[in-house]
Amino acid sequence: MSSDYEYSDDDIDYSDEDDEMMDTQEDGSASSDDDMDMDAFNEDFKVPSKAMRKTYEIEYDTLTQTAVEKAMAADIEHISGIFGVDASVASLLLRYLSWNKERLIEKYMDNASAVSISAGISPPSRSSVSSSAAPIRSHSSSTGGRSSGGLRRPTRQTPGKSRSPTPASVYPDAPSAAPKPEPFVCPICFDDSQTSFLSLSCDHQFCAGCWGAYLTSKIREEGEHSIRCMAEGCAIVAPDPFVRSALADDIPTWERFQELVVRHFVASNPSLKYCPYPSCTHTVSCPVAAHKSALTTIVPIVSCGASGTHKFCFGCPIEADHRPVICSVAKMWLKKCRDDSETANWIKSNTKECSQCQSTIEKNGGCNHMTCKKCKHEFCWVCMGPWSEHGTAWYSCNRYDEKTGVDARDAQSKSRASLERYLHYYNRWANHEQSAKLSIELYSKTEKKMEEMQVTSDLTWIEVQFMKKAVDEVEKCRTTLKWTYAMAYYLEKGNEKELFEDNQRDLERAVEDLSELLESQIDTEIISTLRQKVTDKTVYVQKRNEIMLEDTAKGFLDGRWSWNVSVEGFD
Amino acid sequence: MDARLRRVNKEITDCKNDKSSNIKIDLIDESPFHLKGSFPGPQDTPYEGGHFEVDIVIPESYPFQPVKMKFITKVYHPNVSSASGAICLDILKDAWSPVLTLKSTLISLQSLLCSPEPNDPQDAEVAKHFTTSKRSFEETARYWTQIYAGGPGGIAKSGKSPEAVRDDVAIAGLEKAHVDQFEAIGFERGKVIDVLRRLNYRGANVANISEDRVVEELLK
Repeated sequence: MSSDYEYSDDDIDYSDEDDEMMDTQEDGSASSDDDMDMDAFNEDFKVPSKAMRKTYEIEYDTLTQTAVEKAMAADIEHISGIFGVDASVASLLLRYLSWNKERLIEKYMDNASAVSISAGISPPSRSSVSSSAAPIRSHSSSTGGRSSGGLRRPTRQTPGKSRSPTPASVYPDAPSAAPKPEPFVCPICFDDSQTSFLSLSCDHQFCAGCWGAYLTSKIREEGEHSIRCMAEGCAIVAPDPFVRSALADDIPTWERFQELVVRHFVASNPSLKYCPYPSCTHTVSCPVAAHKSALTTIVPIVSCGASGTHKFCFGCPIEADHRPVICSVAKMWLKKCRDDSETANWIKSNTKECSQCQSTIEKNGGCNHMTCKKCKHEFCWVCMGPWSEHGTAWYSCNRYDEKTGVDARDAQSKSRASLERYLHYYNRWANHEQSAKLSIELYSKTEKKMEEMQVTSDLTWIEVQFMKKAVDEVEKCRTTLKWTYAMAYYLEKGNEKELFEDNQRDLERAVEDLSELLESQIDTEIISTLRQKVTDKTVYVQKRNEIMLEDTAKGFLDGRWSWNVSVEGFD
Repeated sequence: MDARLRRVNKEITDCKNDKSSNIKIDLIDESPFHLKGSFPGPQDTPYEGGHFEVDIVIPESYPFQPVKMKFITKVYHPNVSSASGAICLDILKDAWSPVLTLKSTLISLQSLLCSPEPNDPQDAEVAKHFTTSKRSFEETARYWTQIYAGGPGGIAKSGKSPEAVRDDVAIAGLEKAHVDQFEAIGFERGKVIDVLRRLNYRGANVANISEDRVVEELLK
């Protein structure tokens, strides 16, 4: 299926250069000639090579906030190096094209001034001056240490954009500089006591206070990462250094702004995802699952570096771990369960089908002499046989073996087959979920007992840890089992499914055995034998779980599974 | 002084001093942050001669967030809700700039009356009327200007008018003959007006809607 999967750790950086030009960072770096840059970047994304990666485990890497910022900075640096523009300009260009370096390079090489204008870097009127997005830094010395970034003082300084500025603007302090109209009143607050004015490259001047309030409102209330000039219809975007200095000492808002930019970077990159756990700041990089098409062959369960419990699926938001089943099937199953389970259960326990027309009938009281509203068929609710055979007896359904009754029940069971089938899988699915919860509860009880034992007997702490390990394993396997039922429900009948169900059965049996062991009475005499048994069983269960996951994952890669319904991504 | 208050005060004073634009801004109560703006309907439009009032609420973060405006006067216009007076105009939303003022925004509203934008409607029924028959739309808009905005030939000030029956049909922008036709079948007049308006039973569209379809809707 998708070739993305086959790349080994070592060649992943250069692998899909040919077929996937739109792909993420790796390709961009590969096609560039900026080797230094690239290596530093790839260092961050590289998956530490594990000696033995299981088929059901996928390659991913977890990045801290700082690492993501570094990756982002590397992209900016890269672009800034290629185009010879300032970092803040490169950042605006990248944000404008959603951090897609290839498209940016292509478009920029094609028509730099047009890109600069649409990205809000240079004003349209100056469009004739091409490749001009950079030169803000060329003025940095004249702005008195307020380095790169297009921060302008009201001294009528040049918009840094043009490389051919008028003499006056090149030397803003020269006597020929246009004098500031006196007194200048900020057109927003009309406060004539203001002395400090700022403008972007478009020269629309406003007082520093208004800029601060405006940026704060845009950042805090609208979560904007590209903020335009305040003038009506002006498309110039404020570069980061400008935002920074205009926010003055409002550090929290500046930090929020940086966070918004990083969030935009992560959201724009298909191979990056934020850890969804509350207030977790880690990011996971998983290039193999970046394409939707890959999700038909892999189940990208990842966990962020912050904690092993921060486990989530890179491909979908439905559940933390739905291995071995792929996202689209898991989603389909959950939807079905939400829609159908209760209804199906109710139908099963409260209704029967008319043995003639198969309408579903609810018996709402009265005697067992049923008359189908639809086809007028008269039958006995108890034996399902035709009422005529009951004679005139008010109720004497002792006719269980009568052929007609059996036939009627057969017909009914056939019509219920699909419902029964669904309930079969659903009940097992739900049961494993429930049991997993219960075993955790059980463990908290056992734990106390273990602690007591540690005190009363000569067992060490490490020796009583086997229970914890076993319970963890049981929970993990029950999650696997749970989802195997979702998968089996949709699997097409055949040899493959039988093999799948054999694995499922073996795992289930092992898990139930272990569960039972965990519930046995614990006392000091048998503890050593119990420990031995539990440890052995845990290892076995672990093995079975691995076989289950491994085989299913291989099956996806080999395209071995076929479905009895149409599944997204399969033909 | 609070920057927002200073700015609003200045805007109100500026507007008072400016006699040329015909835009007025008045206080509704004590608060300078809840105002009433008004302007005359633009010339050569169905709104000519009318006097349009706008409810203005200045948000906490004004002028960095847009001012909230809606028509107090009922207006028949594709970009204004005929029920609530809500306005669909870009500068009141994402195209807002802190440089814009109450006066310039009211002028924009005035020019919105000159140039309806039926492809981006606030009131879908009115927009449909506009695209089906501009002439009939203008007639209705003019009628609304007369009765709600005190336009020429207006009857707004004459209190209860004996022509109340005719009013309803004209307000809905329908033909009297059409309403009479269905009323004659035995349907209640109010309901007929309602259904015909909803179906946009106007101009060339009448040919597209069968009588059966109308009756079907009336029976619902």
